[in-house]
This record gives sequence, structure tokens and C-alpha cells, in this order.
Amino acid sequence: MNNGCLENRKKEHDNSQKRPKSYKFGSKSDDFALAIAKVAVAQLCESVGFQGFHLSALETLSDISVRYIYSIGKTANLSANLAGRVEGNVFDIIHGLEDLGSNLGFSGASDVDRCVVSSGVVKDITHFVGVSDFIPFAYDVPGFPVVKESAKTGSFWEKGEDPPGEHIPSWLPAFPDPETYATRLSVENETMGVSNGKKTESELERVERNMDRSLLNLQLRFAHNENKGGSSHGSGYVATESNPYLAAPLHVGEKEVSSVVLPTKLSNEVALRNPVHVDVGNHVSVLETFAPAIEAMKSGLCDSDNVKKKLLYDQRPTVRFKIGIGKKSLGTMSDLNSQNEEDLLKIASWFGNDNEKDDKKRRVEKILKESVESSKE
Amino acid sequence: MNHNPQSSDGKHDDDSALSDFLASLMDYAPTIPDELVEHYLAKSGFQCPDVRLIRLVAVATQKFVAEVASDALQHCKARQAAVVKDKREKQQKVIYLCLLSFLISFGLSDPLLEQDKRLILTMDDLSKSLREVGIEISTLPLYISLHVLVSITK
Repeated sequence: MNNGCLENRKKEHDNSQKRPKSYKFGSKSDDFALAIAKVAVAQLCESVGFQGFHLSALETLSDISVRYIYSIGKTANLSANLAGRVEGNVFDIIHGLEDLGSNLGFSGASDVDRCVVSSGVVKDITHFVGVSDFIPFAYDVPGFPVVKESAKTGSFWEKGEDPPGEHIPSWLPAFPDPETYATRLSVENETMGVSNGKKTESELERVERNMDRSLLNLQLRFAHNENKGGSSHGSGYVATESNPYLAAPLHVGEKEVSSVVLPTKLSNEVALRNPVHVDVGNHVSVLETFAPAIEAMKSGLCDSDNVKKKLLYDQRPTVRFKIGIGKKSLGTMSDLNSQNEEDLLKIASWFGNDNEKDDKKRRVEKILKESVESSKE
Repeated sequence: MNHNPQSSDGKHDDDSALSDFLASLMDYAPTIPDELVEHYLAKSGFQCPDVRLIRLVAVATQKFVAEVASDALQHCKARQAAVVKDKREKQQKVIYLCLLSFLISFGLSDPLLEQDKRLILTMDDLSKSLREVGIEISTLPLYISLHVLVSITK
């Protein structure tokens, strides 16, 4: 028997250790009430005669006092329900107090036919009230917990609208306004009419128009949603609207773009090609090869893509690479080609930096020569 | 026959005493605030519109806490009295004086003297007094304490 009891106690101890902290009195939502209890218990201990506390001891005692209140309430509620009542009575509370005080004992506990009214517990309390000092609570405590107002769901009933269809109950959230999605239907009808009527229209242009319209509709819908829906909706759609990567692509010529300046390497190759062609005898200058391309870029025709490609393919000469002869070939070019002086000048402007560098080098060489000559002297 | 009028009088007295007591409770505001008691009674499911009953519960809890605290105070005072008796024996020992000088060099005063001045509610005393009421509290033992330092000098 003794061994069995010991085992039970050990099991209970183990179980209590494994079980997490009781959420009734240890959760975060109870912090405020526990803090108030700590203050009250500290005041009581001070009245008894203590001058200081260990924090753990104070917390323990306040937790126990809170559980005491809870257990009184639980027992009182139980006895009231047993009597068939919902609301508690003074007799229910006295029953609860007797249950809690039964292990310590109170006067008259052993009487068989005692009346609740004359119970020893009440007498003890009366005596206590008479003896103890009046210690008011240190702070003004507001009524808690504070009830939060629930957010409106935007139901049919709240808006005062009749739900379309009998199968929809009125407490469900209302539908969005038909303006947000009705325009899309009208656009589709238009495109259908266009395709049937004018067959000569290029497909490209039709697709363009549809894209523009759908974009407009999207923007309209987002604007509507921003006005009506919650901030979360609006912010999300605004983000997608402002995202440049999701916008429709621009066609060639819609936006003015600066003309491309060919890098020096490319122009070197072009220069290389020309002496080759001079040898061959084709008299194709640099500008002629790139003129149509430049014109196409400036004019901004939609159909220029094909033209560009054709021009490039027709006039592209065979390429022979010569490494390290670029500057010398320049010199030969200037001597041999007298026809395209304007083009040469333009090409020379591209090589402007190189000429300057040559001049600098010549000056350096001159200075060196002079210094050498002076040293010799 | 004789009992009946007496018992009825007794009941009347008890009733009146109870009702008087409940009325007097309204004058005496207990230290535990009403809002706190209402919150935990509501949590347990006890519904009552009467303020006097809430005051009764508050007073009962106050009585309970005061009893536990006074028990703990008695334990604390008893422990201090026991220490004071040993203190005089220890003061004669050289090692204790060395320890005292060591502590004073750090700026701390004699630890044994301090205990006379302040009555502090500790877990030890509390657990002892709660065990009498029927609540078992187990705490992890604190190995770093002045009591251990004193015991080294024995």
C-alpha cells in the first residue's frame, strides 16, 4: 500500500513536470491581472510585518492567491448549478469557503446538522475584518478586460443591399461594384466587330489596340479597388501598377532615344574593311553601309525591321581581319581615297583622339631628340 | 418545544449577523481590488450581480494571504533567532574574522548583522507555511548564498 502510494506520487510529480505551465494563470493575456495581484499581496505582506521580498516568493504567493479566488468561484458555481441556478448565492460562496478551509479546519466543521448561515468560516472572517487594519489598494484599477469593437464585415445586411438571388444569405459580404468588371465585356465585343468588318487591318495594330484597352481596364479596376477595398488591396495593386517591368512594351519610335555612337573598335573594323574593298574595288564607304540603318532609326517605322535586315545583309562586305595595322591603313586611306573626302573627315572625327595621341607622341619624340642632341653637344 | 424558539431565534440571529456583516463589508474596502476578483470569478464561471458577494470573496482571500504571510514571518523570525545564537560563537573564531575583513574590503558589511534589520519573504519560509495549508511547493536549491559562505567557517 505504501509503495503504491509512493509510486503514484512520483508519477504525479513526473506528469506535472512534463506538463507545460498552466495557461490559465501563466499566459500573457493574464499579465495585467497578475501584476495587480502582486501589488495587492505585497501590500498585505507589508501590513503583516515584512520589509522586503524575494521576487520569486512574491510571484508564487500572488499566483496562489489568484488560484484561491478562482477555486472559490469554481466551487460556488458548481453548487449553484447543482441547485438549478445560473447566478451565485451567498450560500454558494460559503460552501466554497468551507471546502477550501476544510483541511485547515474551522469551528463547527464537525457538526452534522450545521447551518450554512452560522458556519465557522463566516465567523472567522467577521473576526478578521474587525481586527485587521483598513488598507486600501495602492492604484486605481480600471474595469478589465476591455472589450474590443469588432470590425464591420461589409455584409449585404449592413450595406442595406438586397443580395442578388435568393440563395445568397444577407450576412455574407457584399459583391464588388459591377463597374470594376463590366467594361472588359464591352471591349471584347468591340474587337470582335472590328475583326469581322475590316479584314485589311494588320494584325499587329489590332493586337496593339487590345493591349492598350486591357491596360486601361486594369488601371480602372485598380483605381476602383483602391477607392473601395481595404488598404491592403489598394497597396498591392498600386505596386503592380507602378512596376515598370510589368508595363506594356514600347514600339520603335514611340519614345525618343539618342542615336547610338559607334565605339572606336567597331569603327576600326570598318576602316579595315575599306582598304580591303579599295583593293577589291567596290568603293563602299563607311557611311553608306550604315546610312540606311541610321535613317531607319530616326524615322521610326514599324516595318523598318525587315528593311534594316535586308540592307545589312546586302551591303555587308566580306571581312578580313588585320591585327595591328589600323593606324597605318589610315594613312594609306587618306592618300588613295580622294572621292569621299567628306566621309573621310567624318571618319577622322571618330579617330580624333588617336590623332591627338600621335601628336603628343611626336612632341615627346622631338623633345627626346633635342635632349639627346644637347647631351651629345 | 423549547428548542424551537431558541433555534429560530438563533437562526434569526445568524441571519441578521450575516446580513449585518455583508452590509459592513461595503464600508470596509478590502486590499484586493474588486475588479481583480470579478475578473477571476468570471473566468471560473461564477456569475453574480451582487457587489457584497464579491467583497466577501475578496475579504476571504485577504484573510488567507494574511495567514500565510504571518506564518512565513514567524518562520523567518525563528530562523533569525537561531542564527543570532550561533553568531556569538562564530565571532570568536579567527577564520570568521578573516572572512569579515575580506568582505569589508569589498565594501560589504557584516552579513550576519544585516539579517537582524530586514525581514525578507523568502521561498524557504513561504514553502514551509504553504505546506501547512496543503500546498506543496518545490524549488531548485540556490547554491550561491551567504549561508553557504558562513558554513564554510565552521
